[in-house]
Amino acid sequence: MSSLPQPPIGPPAVWSFPTPERARLDNGIEVLAYPLRGQHVVSAHLVLDLPLNAEDRAAEGVATIAARTLDEGSRTHHGEEFAELLETEGAGLGVDLTLSGTQVVLDVPVSHLDRALELFAEAVTEPALSDADVQRHVQLRLAQIEQGQANSAQAATTAFRSALFDDASRAQRMNGGEADTVAAVTPDAVRRFHAEHYGPAGATLVLAGDFTQDPVALAQRCLGGWTNPAQQVVAPQVPAGTGRRALVIDRPGAVQADVRYGGLGIDRRDPRWADISVSSYAMGGGFLSRLNATLREDKGYTYGVRLGFAPMRSGGTFAVQGSFRTEVVVDALAITRELLDVGSSPFTRAEVDDAVNFYVGISPLRYATADGVADQAAAQVLGGLPEDYLDRSLARLRAVTPESALEAYGSLVRLDDLTLVVVGDASVIADPLRALGFDDLEVVQRAG
Amino acid sequence: MSSRTLDYPLHEQTLGNGLRVLTSPDHGAPVVAVNLWYDVGSRHEEAGRTGFAHLFEHIMFQGSAQVPTGQHIALLQAAGASVNATTWFDRTNYFETLPAGGLDLALWLEADRMGTLLDALTQESLDNQREVVKEEKRQRYDNVPYGDVMQLLNGLTFPADHPYGHTTIGSMEDLNAATLTDVQTFFRRHYLPNNAVLSIVGDVTPEDAFDRAETYFGGLAAGPVPAKPSNDPLPALSGTERAETSADVPAAAVYLAWRLPPRGTAVFDALDLACSVLGHGQTSRLHQRLVRTDELAESASASATGLIGGSSAFASARARDGVSCEQLEAALVAEVDRLATEGPTEQELRRAKAQYERHWLNELARVDSRADAFGEYATLERDPTLVNRRITDLEAVDADQIQTAVADWLRSDQRATLTYRQEPS
Repeated sequence: MSSLPQPPIGPPAVWSFPTPERARLDNGIEVLAYPLRGQHVVSAHLVLDLPLNAEDRAAEGVATIAARTLDEGSRTHHGEEFAELLETEGAGLGVDLTLSGTQVVLDVPVSHLDRALELFAEAVTEPALSDADVQRHVQLRLAQIEQGQANSAQAATTAFRSALFDDASRAQRMNGGEADTVAAVTPDAVRRFHAEHYGPAGATLVLAGDFTQDPVALAQRCLGGWTNPAQQVVAPQVPAGTGRRALVIDRPGAVQADVRYGGLGIDRRDPRWADISVSSYAMGGGFLSRLNATLREDKGYTYGVRLGFAPMRSGGTFAVQGSFRTEVVVDALAITRELLDVGSSPFTRAEVDDAVNFYVGISPLRYATADGVADQAAAQVLGGLPEDYLDRSLARLRAVTPESALEAYGSLVRLDDLTLVVVGDASVIADPLRALGFDDLEVVQRAG
Repeated sequence: MSSRTLDYPLHEQTLGNGLRVLTSPDHGAPVVAVNLWYDVGSRHEEAGRTGFAHLFEHIMFQGSAQVPTGQHIALLQAAGASVNATTWFDRTNYFETLPAGGLDLALWLEADRMGTLLDALTQESLDNQREVVKEEKRQRYDNVPYGDVMQLLNGLTFPADHPYGHTTIGSMEDLNAATLTDVQTFFRRHYLPNNAVLSIVGDVTPEDAFDRAETYFGGLAAGPVPAKPSNDPLPALSGTERAETSADVPAAAVYLAWRLPPRGTAVFDALDLACSVLGHGQTSRLHQRLVRTDELAESASASATGLIGGSSAFASARARDGVSCEQLEAALVAEVDRLATEGPTEQELRRAKAQYERHWLNELARVDSRADAFGEYATLERDPTLVNRRITDLEAVDADQIQTAVADWLRSDQRATLTYRQEPS
């Protein structure tokens, strides 16, 4: 039996996020091409500068229905013929809508890129958006909302954002729209939304993979001729918060309670971003972070708990999130509050080093594939960040000190201002939560 | 169609103690993936101990002779690693991917727990992880709509005392019953170098990878290879057994289940493609008929689960408002039967193969999932070179083979049915 001592870790290799080849198509679309050797599946993201606050307040969800109906047939290839052609190329087409923009995403083996990108362009520029397809997607979205409300974790996330932001902020409501506004989405509204908001202005095409041809020439052939004089460009909204609240969404008989406990955060352009990344990792990011070490590994209260900061284009949110069995959730929150108050135990040098080493070390892996690179490049476009953002951000991370981590943390995680959402059995947990200090706790019956 | 022959390099050696070591150099990024497949899963569990293989997986992170509790993940994360483990019917795998300079640390940690886990085992760590696993069960199964479907379908598809007759998460009762002695016995029986495959993929040369594997694992003692559960597959279901349940779910649902031949056979590959034609993606028959044309369902799909001792396939749909379970079932059955009588069209078969190709290329695009694929095929099908041949093997399946396989195995008179009704809240 060998008992070798713990080996040292070799020095990290020098690593940089790849630099794209940049080009501009005839119609102004910006192209960022990342040639990546050995990546046989190409990832293409068309990033539309189309924030969700472009939607009509009474028909929120229209952007999602429009995006989901793109591949239900084009004016050239009707109905299911379109999806059949696309799938025959081995291509997968998806859409991703965030508050700051819409992405249409194509993954396809490089040998089929030509034909697949032509079809991709058809879906984006000349979708049929027929009455029947739109109406079906409205019904499917309504069913999806019901499924989401029945899921404790999803209900908690939805209720949390709804409690954090004011009614004038699009961020208050689900990206795909709430039931009442989705029900009001009509085929005409979807076609109008596409006609007024899909266009080359402000659009970026990110391509990553082991190209066998010039990706810019291909992009020019497929998308360079797209014009839309009616396109309206809408500036992204800066969301506004409300005051703190404490809510229990009642699920009688639930064996677990889902917790979201947090507030308004910051975006990646904020000078505190690197610092808060480090302090949130130490508090609730790593496996032996303060929260997870105590609530999972010591107490056995949860499968996992984390503190996460979610950046938006402007501002952001953060929350402690986890599921705890009903009998212990109140104690878990009491312990969470004690741990979040770092007054007597500030972050240590070792905690900062572990966090920085994690972020620096994980990057080459996270961005080693075509979709990893394309995802990040597209996120940078939507976040208004430069193409060398990652290298800069890693340099900033290395400069974080225990003091700067604590200062950023203290400026954002203010215990008296945090909003609490718990989805669980109110008859068991509401009174003990009030006794814990949430004396303004509201109990809400589950929607639907 | 392109019919791509993959050529990821693969080198293999077996250490003196029987540990199979696979390595595949890839210098595209300065990272390395370490992946250990142990030939043990929930199919090895004994009566009254369902869920134990997975509980044991958690204990593997609770420390060993030289590693304090919880430090396995903490040390690796501080080296920039992503770390995890999974348990399934046929396997337990442990893996980490990290900057290449951390390869020694990863191998040392894996070898320390393979050799000395029991030195650090305490009642306290067992009790703690038992609670964590019960929380995992609540979070992933007990507190989510339809969370009991897998358990119900498994119970319909396999006899209760069959290795696949219970799910990997197990029951609360059995988790409560697990003892320290169970942990010790399980470790000594299954966690042996000669019952594992170590894959090292990434920025390391084969010579270097083999040397380091020998350095850290070479001193571990082999043991008697545990007796295998029977791999003799059961025949197709003989009747149309039914079960019904109800819960406060947003939509009623119907599930059909079949027993299939084991993975690693041409007929299973044909049935896997058949399930793709039937129920994978927007152009699949179930989506086209139930969701798009007839508007009976909010979703409809089918998939096969390949296992070495006999596989299964499930087809399912969730009802739109006002649609009965009987209507859903009739439509599901009609589409399954149509595939048996007509077979797939050439277009459908091309699509299914093209979608498989993209899925497989995506899997292999990452060093971590590539390492996992090598470990999987070495452990379950004894041949890791299959990883490079999967696409060409599937390419060879023709429409007649699929129609025959469906007519033999995916018959509506050899199925089980689960009806999931809405209970008013």
